[in-house]
Amino acid sequence: MALAMALGGCSLPWARRSRPAPAAGWAANLSRQDPALSGDGRLLASVIERQGRATVLLQERSTGRVLPLRHLSRWQPHSSPSLSWRGRYLAVIVQRGARRQAVIEDRLTNRLLPLPLPGGREPVRLTLAPDGQRLALELVAAGRWRVEVFELGGVLEVDPPAGALLRTPAGARP
Amino acid sequence: MTASERIPLPLGALGALGATLLLLATGLLTACAATPLRPLPAINQRLEQNGSSRDPSLSGRWLALVSGRDGRERVELIDLELNRPVPLPGLNRPDAQTLNVSVDASGERIALIRQRDGRTELALYSRSRQSLQPLPLDPPGVPRQLQLAADGRVLAVQVSRGGLWQVDLIELP
Repeated sequence: MALAMALGGCSLPWARRSRPAPAAGWAANLSRQDPALSGDGRLLASVIERQGRATVLLQERSTGRVLPLRHLSRWQPHSSPSLSWRGRYLAVIVQRGARRQAVIEDRLTNRLLPLPLPGGREPVRLTLAPDGQRLALELVAAGRWRVEVFELGGVLEVDPPAGALLRTPAGARP
Repeated sequence: MTASERIPLPLGALGALGATLLLLATGLLTACAATPLRPLPAINQRLEQNGSSRDPSLSGRWLALVSGRDGRERVELIDLELNRPVPLPGLNRPDAQTLNVSVDASGERIALIRQRDGRTELALYSRSRQSLQPLPLDPPGVPRQLQLAADGRVLAVQVSRGGLWQVDLIELP
């Protein structure tokens, strides 16, 4: 490991900074997919196999500490997690009954927001804007991939980047 | 009139009232629990015109994705405030297929995984420098999915190594 890092440091300037995601604590040989970082890089969400079911795991990146998710111990398989700037919101695709559905857990209020797609369609992949004000879903329509963007303004409060309140918003005019 | 004859009337009335209350309660609960998604028509119309689109990444005012028609796909970066794509010189090439893409909140960095000459590679595009720089994986592995933190400083990559999916974190200067 040290040798690999030393070699990496000599020949590969980028690889020197590459490291495995922190272990989850209970499984050394963990298969892990769908990584997503909070906007500030402090939190890491990923999907692991827990008791044979694909389950989202939220961790502090620096320590590996696992953070509780109140609503997401069920409705597996989970896929495609996405986090807001400071990780207040975790959006993820879950299985509810026979349907795949996007949901958002608000970690500040412990509220779960189910987001059914109009027309009974099902998402394949999602991405939440870091401020929590937009959501894009990838779905299959008429036999091809299609991305649709949705408005969450008025549904979710803004999760601003740290220190944003001290700065003038980019779009503000004097 | 016997008791058995009178019973159906009040029960029926109660039943109707109960059903109404139940319907109301269900309606209220559903309204609280599920939020219908409001599409953004202008953006979605543009995406529809582009043929198929996949692997979206939202950050700041930007939407990065892979789109195309007739099997000719390309990475696109759409400015959602202006509802139009911005040029990405030096990023798309006809002999490469992009598997996954992610953009930071400033729209300056785009991380991507692409296949070229039978190899799968990880790379970082700088929009101001108009340059694509390969990011080697150490130890070697095959990248499949990635996400760039919105601040553009850390990249998380799903990598296949020895039959196992792993996640690498790469700090970017």
